[in-house]
Amino acid sequence: MALANADIRLSRFNPLPRILAFDDFDDGLHGWCELVGNHNGDLNEMQPVFKDMRPAQLSTCTFFDIGTHGAVDGTYSMKLATRPRKYHQAVAIKRLTSAADGLVQFEAWFTYKAEQTFGGDDSGARAWDGNYHPSEAHFGSFTLWNDICEETEPRDRYHAALRYENTNEEGEFTQRWLYKTGLHPTTRMLREGFDSNQNDVHVAKPDMWAPIPGGDQQLCFNEVPTKVNWHYLRWLFDLSTRRNTELQVNDLTMDLRDIPVLRFDEGYWGINRLLNLCMDVRTTSNVRNFLYMDSVVISADW
Amino acid sequence: MRHSFTAVIEKNATFDMDFDTEPYECAWASEARWFINVMELEGHKARLSAKVQVSPDGLFWCDEGSQFEPMSEPDLYSLAVRDFGGWLRLDCELDGTDARLRLMIYLVLKE
Repeated sequence: MALANADIRLSRFNPLPRILAFDDFDDGLHGWCELVGNHNGDLNEMQPVFKDMRPAQLSTCTFFDIGTHGAVDGTYSMKLATRPRKYHQAVAIKRLTSAADGLVQFEAWFTYKAEQTFGGDDSGARAWDGNYHPSEAHFGSFTLWNDICEETEPRDRYHAALRYENTNEEGEFTQRWLYKTGLHPTTRMLREGFDSNQNDVHVAKPDMWAPIPGGDQQLCFNEVPTKVNWHYLRWLFDLSTRRNTELQVNDLTMDLRDIPVLRFDEGYWGINRLLNLCMDVRTTSNVRNFLYMDSVVISADW
Repeated sequence: MRHSFTAVIEKNATFDMDFDTEPYECAWASEARWFINVMELEGHKARLSAKVQVSPDGLFWCDEGSQFEPMSEPDLYSLAVRDFGGWLRLDCELDGTDARLRLMIYLVLKE
């Protein structure tokens, strides 16, 4: 902590003793790359949900009305952008391995937006009233998740996934944190005929998410699609217990130790000590959705 | 060392009509090179044209002035661009009867 407090760029984080990565997107994407599904060299073999997860971008947060907004510090942030198509999802991944079991913490300063639209048909309670702006209802969700595999035995692999659901599948405001109750359909499972809607990389069906107790939260969308306010997030998980520990987003801290994390019954080959960190944004409207990260710190107690 | 980044703008995508690529932010880069790998091109007199477009905000677009030579058979094609501001995309036109193609589009950016 002394080190973090002495560094003006790190002092807005609370890292564990060993910092594995400090990703300030003012100087590149730091290994956050597009997730791709498994294939044998023939991209036609890829399952639909994995086919088009979009490359991350170095964004200036530039908008038509004010020009460049910039980030918390410097100019650039990492941006994930969906296509303007309902249920499209953009996914970025950073691939590490773990040197020991123990705590891992992901921290970020982030924001999220729906793309500016013009001449929309939002009316009634969703019409612009000078404060509320219909753009907020155009944003679906963003999700933080991991992909962990210890060895090659059955039940060694699991994904923890925490989703901020701004609007549900029908586009209705829910503004809450969710955890998933279904397995991530892996390429092997899909090839074996696992029934999946193929429109959410995390789960096969939309009802495979459940609210985190105490997880209702309204974030600072700030009224219009061209004003961004950066939020602090801290997610702690434990490789020893194979569970989440807690999630803090601004002034809300959720105890996640009793939230179940599903494991795969099968063993997976060649991914020993896998420690992948992932994030995604998913639209529930035909409007592009954006997730921005000013900076990310990944730390561990080992 | 100069930063560089390769973005896969279209991945094994199929089209049977005109299309624009998704907006991509590139303000940090001073040079760019597009690659189009046409893997399949079917149809009578099928031909793909692609113009570079730029934008101040990712919403409104105009032609940058350069374009690919028309592509009428599977191959790898490339085009370099400079002085493009903060955003790039391609405005692609597919001509021919019952034309259909499958392609990869890469955008290679360098600081």
